[in-house]
Amino acid sequence: MPGLVLKGISKRFGGVTAVEPTDLTFAEGELTALLGPSGCGKTTLLRMIAGLEAPTLGAIFLGSVPITDRPAHKRKFGMVFQSFALFPHLSVRDNVAYSLTIAGTSRGEAATKADSLLDLVQLSGLGDRRIGALSGGQRQRVAIARALAQEPDVFLLDEPMSALDAKLREDMQVELRLLQQRLGITTIVVTHDQREAMTMADRIVVMSNGRVEQVGSPQDIYHRPENAFVADFIGKANFFDGVTEPGGVRVGDTLLTAEANFLEGSPVKVAIRPERAGINEGPGPNVVPATVTFVRDLGPMREYHLDTGLGPMVIEYAVGEKGEVLTKGETTEVRLPPEALHVFAVPRAAPAQKVAAE
Amino acid sequence: MSVADGIDVPLGDRPAAATRLNWSKLLPWGFAGLVFALCLVPFFLVLAISFGRKVEGAAWVWDFTFENYQRFFVGTLWPDEVTFLYIGQLGYSFWYAVIASCIAVLTALPFTLLLTRLRRSAQAAWLVFILSSLSLSEVFIVMGWDILLSNNSGLPALFKSTGLTQWLKDTGHFQTLRDWGLANPRNVKFKTSDFATILTMSYLVWPYAVILLYPALSRMDPSHSEAARTMGANNWQVLRTVILPSVRLPLFGTTLLLFVFLLGTYVAVTVFADPAKHTTAVAIYQNVRGANLNAPFGATMAVILLVSAGICLTLGHMLNRWAAAR
Repeated sequence: MPGLVLKGISKRFGGVTAVEPTDLTFAEGELTALLGPSGCGKTTLLRMIAGLEAPTLGAIFLGSVPITDRPAHKRKFGMVFQSFALFPHLSVRDNVAYSLTIAGTSRGEAATKADSLLDLVQLSGLGDRRIGALSGGQRQRVAIARALAQEPDVFLLDEPMSALDAKLREDMQVELRLLQQRLGITTIVVTHDQREAMTMADRIVVMSNGRVEQVGSPQDIYHRPENAFVADFIGKANFFDGVTEPGGVRVGDTLLTAEANFLEGSPVKVAIRPERAGINEGPGPNVVPATVTFVRDLGPMREYHLDTGLGPMVIEYAVGEKGEVLTKGETTEVRLPPEALHVFAVPRAAPAQKVAAE
Repeated sequence: MSVADGIDVPLGDRPAAATRLNWSKLLPWGFAGLVFALCLVPFFLVLAISFGRKVEGAAWVWDFTFENYQRFFVGTLWPDEVTFLYIGQLGYSFWYAVIASCIAVLTALPFTLLLTRLRRSAQAAWLVFILSSLSLSEVFIVMGWDILLSNNSGLPALFKSTGLTQWLKDTGHFQTLRDWGLANPRNVKFKTSDFATILTMSYLVWPYAVILLYPALSRMDPSHSEAARTMGANNWQVLRTVILPSVRLPLFGTTLLLFVFLLGTYVAVTVFADPAKHTTAVAIYQNVRGANLNAPFGATMAVILLVSAGICLTLGHMLNRWAAAR
C-alpha cells in the first residue's frame, strides 16, 4: 500500500478559504492525526482525500498515481464517519459486507468475510442484530469493520471517538491503534482532542484557520512547538508577553535568559510548560519571586497557581516528584530553566534571518 | 396580622369557575360533534341513498334495495346477462391513478433530492413556488393542458410547423405513434389518449409529491450516501441500496396518498380520456349531476369507490408492515 501525497491542495467555499494550499505526505503504514480546533479545515482536508470534496487547487497522489479526479467510489479508501453513518435498514453483517456486495462478491463469501471482520473488532455473534440494537462503542466497531471490508489502501477516520463517552473513548483509542499497527494500513484520523492524537498517532498535523501549523511526532509537537498556537493548543502552557534584548527577553522588569532569534526590541511571546518550571530549586538563571494563589490537588498531580512578577502562571508537580508542598498565600521562588522557554513571534515580530535578508 | 388576613376571598366566584370547567369538558364533545356532522353525516347520507331507487321520469325515492350494487358488479340483466361496464370503469380509475401517482412520485423523487442539496434560501424559494402552484384549480390546470395538447394548436401544431411530423413519417416512427393511438393519418394527436390523461393527472399531483417527500429527504443523513460512495457504490447503487430503502416508508405513503387522491379525478379524465375509458368518478358525476340523473346509482358507485380506496390503503399498510418486519 503506497503512501499518500498532497501537493498544494486547497479548498475555497465561495469567498471562504477552508484549506490554504497545503503540502503533506502520509507515509505508508503510518497513522497520522489531523489535529486542530473546530473549523480549522481538518475535516475538509480529509473529505478531499476521500474524494467527497473536489479540491479548488492542487493534486493528490497515491504513491505516484494521481487520484485528484478519481471519484470517491473508485478510490478504495475506507472511511469511518463522525456519525458512523451505519445503514439502519441493514443488519450488522450486511453493513460490514456492503462494499463486498457492491463489488459483486457472492452473498456467502461476503457474509463469511463480514463475520471474520466482526471477529477482528470483537463483535462475534452480533452479525444478525439491527444497528439500532447496538451501543455506541459497538456501532463504532461496526463502522471500522465496514470500512476495512474493502481492504482499503488508505483508512480515514473523521472524529471517530466523538460520539463515545470518556472511558470508552480511551479504550477505543488504544484498540484502534493496535488494530492499525496489526493491519499496517496508512491511516489518517481527524480529531480535535490532542490527547487522542498523542495516544494514537505516529505523526500529528496541527491545523489552524485552514493552515498547517506544524507537522511532527507527538513528542516533537509537545516539546518543540513551532509557534504560540501549537504550544497553546497542545497541552498547557504559561505565556508572557515580552521584548527581546541581548541575551534574552524582558518581561516586565525581569530579564529572562532565553534563546530568542529575533531582532533586538521585537515583541515576542515566551511560553513554558507547567511541568518544566520548578519551585525553590536554588540559585540560577530566571528565578522570580511568586505567591501561591491557589492549590489544586488532582491525585496524581499537584497544581500551583502562582502570582509572579511575570504575571500569573501555573506549575504542575507529579506525585513522587521532589518539590516543596506549599499552601495558599505562601511566598516562594519559581525557576524557569532557559532550555524550557519557547520564544515565539507575535504578528508584528519578524524572524532575524528574514529581516536580515531584506 | 398575617398577609392572608388582608385577602378578601370573593365566595361568589365559585359558580363561575364551575361553569368554565363545564365548557372545557364540553369542548371535545363539541369538536367530535362537528367532525361527525361534517364528515360522517354526508357519508351516511350517501350510503343511505345508495340503497334508494330511481323512479323513471322522476327523481328517486328512499328504499332498501341492492339493485344498484347488483347493477355495478354484474349489470341489471343478471342472471340472464352479465356486464362488467362499471367494474371496467373502476379498473380504469385504478389504472390511471396507479400509473399517474407512480410517475409523479418517481419524477418528484430526483427533483426533491436535488432540491434538498440546494442552499436553504433556494430551497425555500422552490418550495414557495411549488406550494403556490397548488392554488391552481384542477379545472384551470386541465384547461392549460387542453390548449397545449389540442389538435389544432399547441404541440401537434408545433410538430407540424417545425417539420417534426414529417421527420417522424420519414423515419417510420409516425406509424409507432399511430399504433399507440398518438397520431391520426395527418399529424400527431394527444387528445384523446391515455398519455394525455396520465400526463395531466401526474402534473396535478406532482407538487403534492414534492411537498410530501421533502421532509423525509431533507432529514436524510448525507453521510449515509457518502459512506456508500467510499465503499465503492456509484450514484445508481447509492440510490438503490441507501436512499430508496431509507425513504421507503414516505415514498410508499406518498404514492398511496396520491393514488387515493387521483381515484377521484374527474375533469382531467373527462377532457383527455377516451369515453370508452372513462372512470368511476366521471360516471358518478353523470349519474348525480349529469344526464343520467340516477342519484342512488351514483351514490352506490361513490360508496364502492370509497371502499376500494379504503381496501387499497389497508392493503398498503399491511404490505408496508410486512416489508418492515422482513
